[in-house]
Amino acid sequence: MNFELSSEQRLIQESIARFVQDNYPLDARQKLAAGKLGFSETHWSTMAELGWLALPFDAEDGGFGGNQIDTMVLMEQFGKGLVLEPYLASIVMGGGAVKRGSAALRTEILPGVIDGSRQLALAYAEPQSRFDLHDVVTNARSDGADYVLNGHKSMVLHGGSAHQVVVSARTSGGQADTGGISLFLVDMDAEGIKRDGFPTVDGLRAAEITLKDVRVPASRVIGTIDQGYPILTAVANDAILALAAEAIGAMEVLYKDTVAYTQERVQFDHPLADFQVLQHRMVDMFMEYEQCKSLLYRATLEVAQGTSPTAQRTVHALKHLVGRSGIFIGENAVQLHGGMGMTEELRIGHYFKRMLVIESQFGNTDYHLQRFAA
Amino acid sequence: MDIELSASDLSFREEVRQFFRDNAYKPGEDYAKWRLDWFAKAAAKGGWDVPKWPKEFGGPGWSPTQHYIWEQETARATLPWDMPFGVGMVAPIIMGYGNKAQQERFLPDIRARKVNWCQGYSEPGAGSDLASLKTKAVLSADGTHYVVNGQKIWTTAAHIADWMFCLTRTDDSGRKQDGITFLLFPMKQPGIEVKPIITLGGAHSVNSVFITDVKVPVENRIGEEGKGWTYAKGLLQHERTGLAGISRSLVALEGLKANAASVPRGNGTLLDDPDFRAKVAALEIDLLAAEFTELRSLASAQAGAAPGPESSILKLKGTEIQQRIQKLTVEAAGLYAAAWGASQPGPKFARGGMSGYLASRAYTIYGGASEVQKDVIAKNVLGIKRSQA
Repeated sequence: MNFELSSEQRLIQESIARFVQDNYPLDARQKLAAGKLGFSETHWSTMAELGWLALPFDAEDGGFGGNQIDTMVLMEQFGKGLVLEPYLASIVMGGGAVKRGSAALRTEILPGVIDGSRQLALAYAEPQSRFDLHDVVTNARSDGADYVLNGHKSMVLHGGSAHQVVVSARTSGGQADTGGISLFLVDMDAEGIKRDGFPTVDGLRAAEITLKDVRVPASRVIGTIDQGYPILTAVANDAILALAAEAIGAMEVLYKDTVAYTQERVQFDHPLADFQVLQHRMVDMFMEYEQCKSLLYRATLEVAQGTSPTAQRTVHALKHLVGRSGIFIGENAVQLHGGMGMTEELRIGHYFKRMLVIESQFGNTDYHLQRFAA
Repeated sequence: MDIELSASDLSFREEVRQFFRDNAYKPGEDYAKWRLDWFAKAAAKGGWDVPKWPKEFGGPGWSPTQHYIWEQETARATLPWDMPFGVGMVAPIIMGYGNKAQQERFLPDIRARKVNWCQGYSEPGAGSDLASLKTKAVLSADGTHYVVNGQKIWTTAAHIADWMFCLTRTDDSGRKQDGITFLLFPMKQPGIEVKPIITLGGAHSVNSVFITDVKVPVENRIGEEGKGWTYAKGLLQHERTGLAGISRSLVALEGLKANAASVPRGNGTLLDDPDFRAKVAALEIDLLAAEFTELRSLASAQAGAAPGPESSILKLKGTEIQQRIQKLTVEAAGLYAAAWGASQPGPKFARGGMSGYLASRAYTIYGGASEVQKDVIAKNVLGIKRSQA
């Protein structure tokens, strides 16, 4: 039993913490978020140069050979600064799908992903699908050496700026069947693609993508035709672990800022922190944070180990708890900051909004509770 | 005890509905003109423009049941916009504590909605602990006017207000609740600077107001110098009752159900999902109870008693209920709840749902934070005496 980070992991952790501290004070972040792209290309290049984009890829693909534990270390630090760059979308989600594909595809695609020049995204949701990855109406039919895709993918994280997007499409079976789903890597400049990009409430970006008779060569199929679902769930699990780690970084800021503020703010001739009802609330926030961290370790280790029969169930448990605790901590951080917590001026509100978005991504609190109980 | 509506109550309800139907806004109409006409017509009905004003000041003198019917119907109809600060907040204070000249000077314009008011209460150092406010008012040597200096914060609509009713400190030698004076002054004058505060949903409705050497004639002081806290306290009770928004929540709950029923889920809709359905049901149960808590409060107020402890319960329960409706609306929107900006993909209620949820987080903060409301109930209702803070 060992919960210590390796010396390499500690170095990366320190290096990312420094990056966040130097580059992500709130005003700098909000300026980036309001810009055309919604993040900094300079930061993205820095992340590539420092090798962070290579972290979860195999050495034979030009990667660092890391696993979910390494991603966890990185995402927790990103969460403390609400980092805007498309790490989750391009590296964990898009890259996470491609790295589970053929050697030819990996050789063609991953070098650009790792050096930052090629940004990927994952289009898994549809207007009717809610949180079911297997509810897929977008279809792909075989036509000579190509597939022809038609459909509508929704809320694609960083889908507006990605060069290529991994699209789940139905090649056989009924609307909600897990079999018959295939994954395609689609060029966003292909004919028949329409993208409508927009900001999300947390300052990130997403896009609605419609595909009308989009031709994709068979060489761009990820994995085997009709067998895309297991890859999709593996990527979703990695994404949930990454989101949970980010959430834990953000929770730490929320509860610590609240503890600091209530000791400074004086009302009724006492610092707010003198009032027992508020002390207990903050203790509850702290306990929720610690519990989430424990479950994050548990789920991350089980998934990284690769053979745990309970890994999937623990991932459901984690996403449920992080959603529930994240909202609890966020709402109470705002409440205890009073009017100040409601302003765009303090960072509290921004961390709370990120928590809200994380809660619904890849299934909300109720969804994962149901899956866990099933 | 009886919950059946009498024949005369039923005919009153029909009359209210008829009035709303006859005077509904028609698309394309000049909104500002329609608004003022609407209030004039409501006034002609015998005080329907000021339902809560006492009869001697032109109110309708309704029974508790009639007030209840009015609340229910107004939650469903589209009424002209109306800020609470004039008719609902400063007017009762002017009626209760102002002199005859002040009543004649201010009440007609308030009633006609010709003047917009804002409330100068909170300060950077005085939120929940409002009585610790520091905005200073100094009486001139000749006793004709006060000179006011200080800063107010969270002032809703200060940027569109014509007048402010303001709590100021005229004496800091004694208990902090003493030495507070209630002043009225125009907003459009040198020495008043309004700065917007942008809140989580991106909206601008609250402001900081900086007050520098503003002269306020003594004629604009309500009641006695140093008694402002007593006047304001009564008003806070009224404000809290109003903030519960029970009738609006009843309508919002129907909206929530309709929205959830429009989200496909498996072979049915989200409203068929047992977990979601149970949460909506639990909310509805709390709302059924809160509706009658409000009725009990209304009945005791109409019997002549001041709004009592149940007004604190109402604010707590009412705002929690509003927040839960907003939260469930966000949940119903699923991934689309995150969409922001001009594009509005997904269900129509998603964007408004998220803004509504974020705005609703303030409901348990303003008008007395929930934690403070609970202190009030512990002290004044349960009679718990604390030996220390």
